[in-house]
This record gives sequence, C-alpha cells and structure tokens, in this order.
Amino acid sequence: MDAVLIFQSLISGIMMGMVYALLGVGFSLTWGVMHVIHISHGAFGLLGAYAAYSLLQYFGVDPIASAAMSVPLLFLMACGLYQLLIRPITRAKNIIMASMILTFGLAIILENIMALIWKADPRVLTPAYSSGALIVGPFYFQYPHLVGFGLSLVGITALYLFLKKTYTGMAVRAAWQQPEAARLYGVNLFQISMITFALAVSTAGAGGICLALLNSFEPHSHNLWLIYLFLVVIVGGVGNVIGTALAGLIIGVITGLSMAFLPFQWVNLVTFGLLMVFLIFRPHGIFKQEGL
Amino acid sequence: MLSVENLTVCYGQMKALRSVSIEISAGQMVALIGANGSGKTTLLNAISGLVPIEEGRIIWEDQSLNGFPPDKLCRKGIIQVPEGRKLFPSMTVEENLIMGAYHPNVRKKAQESLQKVFSSFPRLADRRRQFAGSLSGGEQQMVAMGRALMAKPRLLMLDEPSLGLSPKAAAEIFEIIRELNKEGITILLVSQEVMQTLAITTYGYVLENGVLVLQGDCKQLQEDPKVKTSYLGM
Ligand SMILES: Nc1ncnc2c1ncn2[C@@H]1O[C@H](COP(=O)(O)OP(=O)(O)OP(=O)(O)O)[C@@H](O)[C@H]1O
Ligand SMILES: [Mg+2]
Repeated sequence: MDAVLIFQSLISGIMMGMVYALLGVGFSLTWGVMHVIHISHGAFGLLGAYAAYSLLQYFGVDPIASAAMSVPLLFLMACGLYQLLIRPITRAKNIIMASMILTFGLAIILENIMALIWKADPRVLTPAYSSGALIVGPFYFQYPHLVGFGLSLVGITALYLFLKKTYTGMAVRAAWQQPEAARLYGVNLFQISMITFALAVSTAGAGGICLALLNSFEPHSHNLWLIYLFLVVIVGGVGNVIGTALAGLIIGVITGLSMAFLPFQWVNLVTFGLLMVFLIFRPHGIFKQEGL
Repeated sequence: MLSVENLTVCYGQMKALRSVSIEISAGQMVALIGANGSGKTTLLNAISGLVPIEEGRIIWEDQSLNGFPPDKLCRKGIIQVPEGRKLFPSMTVEENLIMGAYHPNVRKKAQESLQKVFSSFPRLADRRRQFAGSLSGGEQQMVAMGRALMAKPRLLMLDEPSLGLSPKAAAEIFEIIRELNKEGITILLVSQEVMQTLAITTYGYVLENGVLVLQGDCKQLQEDPKVKTSYLGM
C-alpha cells in the first residue's frame, strides 16, 4: 500500500474525527447529565450549517464568523426550547424514552422546515478559500477542512475548560455524577440542565458548520450524523468529554482509512459493525475511568 | 434553632415518618438513632428539602422551611453529609471540596476554606489531585466532611458517617465531629454506633418504624432498658 495515501487518509480521518467529536460532546452531555437522548441534536447541527450557507451566499459572511455567531444565538434559543419542551418531560417516569420520542418529532419538524426553506438539493459551503489548499511535501490539506478542524478543536477545548475550570461547568459534572449531593450543596438541577442542553445545542450548531466545511449536506443528512453521534458516545462513554473527543478521532480515522481503501459500500458496514461490536463487548465505552 | 413539628413524610402510599417532632438548639449535639429502615435518612432528607413534606412544619429561626428546595436551604447553613458519602467520584478531591463552596454565600471564601480544610485534614491535601472515587472509605468520609465544611454549616447533619469504616477510622471521625461541635457548629448525628454516639452527644431521639418512641438526655438514654436491649445488645 501507498504510504502517502495512508498518511493522507489518516490526516483527513483526524480532521473528520475532530468534527465528530465536537458534535458528539454535546450529545454525550445531554445524555449523561439529563438522561435526555437528544435525537434532534444532529438536526440543530444541520440548522447551523444551513444558516451558515445562507449567510455566506447572501451576505458573504465567512463560516468562521457564522460559527461564532451561532453559538450565542442557538444557546438562547435552546434555553427557550428547554423550558418549553424538555423540562416538562423530565417528570416522565422514563425520561430516556420520552425524550427520544419528543426529540425525534422535533428532528422531523426541523428537517421539514429546512427542506421548505433550503430545498432538498445537496449544498456545500464554499467560502472564498474553498479551492485553496495547504501543500506540505506530498500531502494536501484543503483549507475548508483545516478551518473545520481548527474550529472544532477550539470548540472542544473551550467546552473542556468550561467544564473543568468554572463553577457552572463543575456543577454540570457534579449533577451528572451525583445529582442528589449536587443539590445538597446548592446546585439547581433545572438551571444546570438548561445550561447543559443549551451548550449542547449551540456546540451542535458550530459542529454542523464545521461538518459542512468537510462534506456536502441536505435536509435529511442529520439522520446519518445522528448514527455517528451514537457511535462516538458509545465508544467514548456517556457524559465523558475527553472520551467522546478521543472516540471522535478514532472513528474519524477508521472511516478515513476505510474510505481510502474499501469500496464505498463497505464504509458504513465497517463503521456500524464496529458500533455493534462495541455495544456487545464494551457497553460503557473504551475508557475505564469516567473522566471528564 | 431548628424545630420539626409533627412531620409526616410519605413515599407513595407508605408513611416513612409519622408525626415526628424534634428540637435542636444552637450549639447542641443531638443524636438520632434507630434500626434500619426506621426513617432516619428520611428525616434528614426532609429537613434538607430532598423529600417533600406531607404534613407538619420545619421551622428554622422563626422561618418555615416547608417547600424550600435543597439548593436554597444550604444557603442558610443547613448542610447534610449524606449517607454513603455521595462524593462526585470522577472529580478530584479538590474539586469535590470546591463544590462544597458552590452556593453564592460562601463561594468568595472558597480558597480560604479550602486551606482550612486541608490543614484539618492533611491527608486530603496530599491527595488533592486524585479522583475521589479512588480513595479509601475513611478518606472518602473525610472528603465528604470537608465538602460540608466548605459550605460553612451552622447545622451539620451527618448520616451514618462511620458506616463501613474500621473502628480506628470511625473513632477518628467521631473525634472530628466533637471538635466541630466545640467550634460552634450545631450537630445532628445519625449513627448505628449507638454507644459511641450517645457518648459524645447531649440529647438523643430514637426512631422506630417512622415514629419517635423515645427521647432524652444521652446519659438517660444510655441507661434506658429499651435502648440497652434494642441497640446495645445488652
Ligand atoms: N426513595 C424511597 N422510595 C420509597 N421508599 C423509601 C425511599 N427511601 C426510603 N424508603 C423507605 O422508607 C423507610 C425509611 O427509610 P430510611 O432510609 O429513612 O431509613 P433509615 O432509618 O435511614 O435506614 P438505614 O439505617 O438503613 O439507613 C424504609 O422502609 C425505606 O424502605
Ligand atoms: Mg439511612
């Protein structure tokens, strides 16, 4: 096999994986902290991608700026959504089930709205630098991929620092690990759940924009994204940020390599075969310690 | 300081507490004893606001606490060290302690309190970067108590702090509790170590199937034939 090709696909895998990681971290947190399996997580990512698409198309706004703007906007929107839809169902006996059904419906609604506004044609984000590439020796890195990767790295690092260094971030982790004790020491679980959900949705939006820099997308793309989200969370461990990030990288590399060396039809087979193997042998993910 | 009046608490159909009344005055060290399932934890959780009150009142310095959520109650200085410690297992010792100072009234003093806790529990200072879940039982109990101290308790409620500890570690914990009381923290102590508990507390309550069956000075309780047969195995 060609060493350059291996290395090149390894690098694209890592870039892709970092984006999966950013999309996955929020999904993992809502699941771990709130016991909400947020099926519309990918659809919010897609909404971010479409918003960036229109901003670029009509106003020439660079996707980096769109990603930066999408975070506070989606955060506020998600706070409202939490109060309106998610908080009421936390009273349900089986939150996981109720949340899946509710957000499945939400995903379908979002998908249809996006199909109405942006039509069903595949779209690509083509910023001014989209045809440029960084060439290092025999290797070739497209600028949009580098930007998507860089933004994802920034996003994950920011989220990590938030969870590790701020009181609110620590409360998010405390609420996930031991909700009762967290309450006894002053954590308002509803407030923390709202923040968790809003952070997840806003990082999904930014992650969607990053993914759109690497791949084309259409209104139903979120379904496939969702399956990758499950994969990343199951490999990385629910609620585990570092684990999720590493899982994103691992899965990115595996898909990157299989895309380079296997016929197209085999790629998903390999990826989802992996998901099943994981569920059977390591249902709690690959990492022993529930880190951060 | 705290009075619980005719408190009834239900889990679904089951009454876990029936018309329980207790009184704790400032500076006191009060014992709550009873067999497994008699409702001790339930009483503490009701005071902390974790379980809803069916009937009765909880009064703290002339203010009714009924319906207060736990995250508001802890701001008043009513702090519980829960049964089984309930640490945040994948957070470090230091992070666990810092979480004790989460509520806004004490947050600004967090670093100062942390140094104080480390000087009272030097063993925790050595393990500050270790995950709480990886500590020994005795060390975990120290983290749990340190976390409570970070919250600046005025009333400290300890639910079976010596559970699962070696006699030596248990004695150490009891000694610390006594020290804390000397420093002016009012204590409500739940424990199965009836002898040790009655030895360090001044007043005691005995629960049985959710009903208060006995109360009195600890000296008296130690001599009580019922306490002797039921709890001391004499
Ligand atoms: N969350 C709950 N839901 C239903 N029943 C409960 C719940 N918690 C406690 N109970 C029941 O309430 C009763 C009192 O329980 P509680 O935990 O207060 O007892 P305890 O005196 O603390 O016992 P132990 O010494 O074993 O800790 C028990 O019969 C218990 O089964
Ligand atoms: Mg108990």
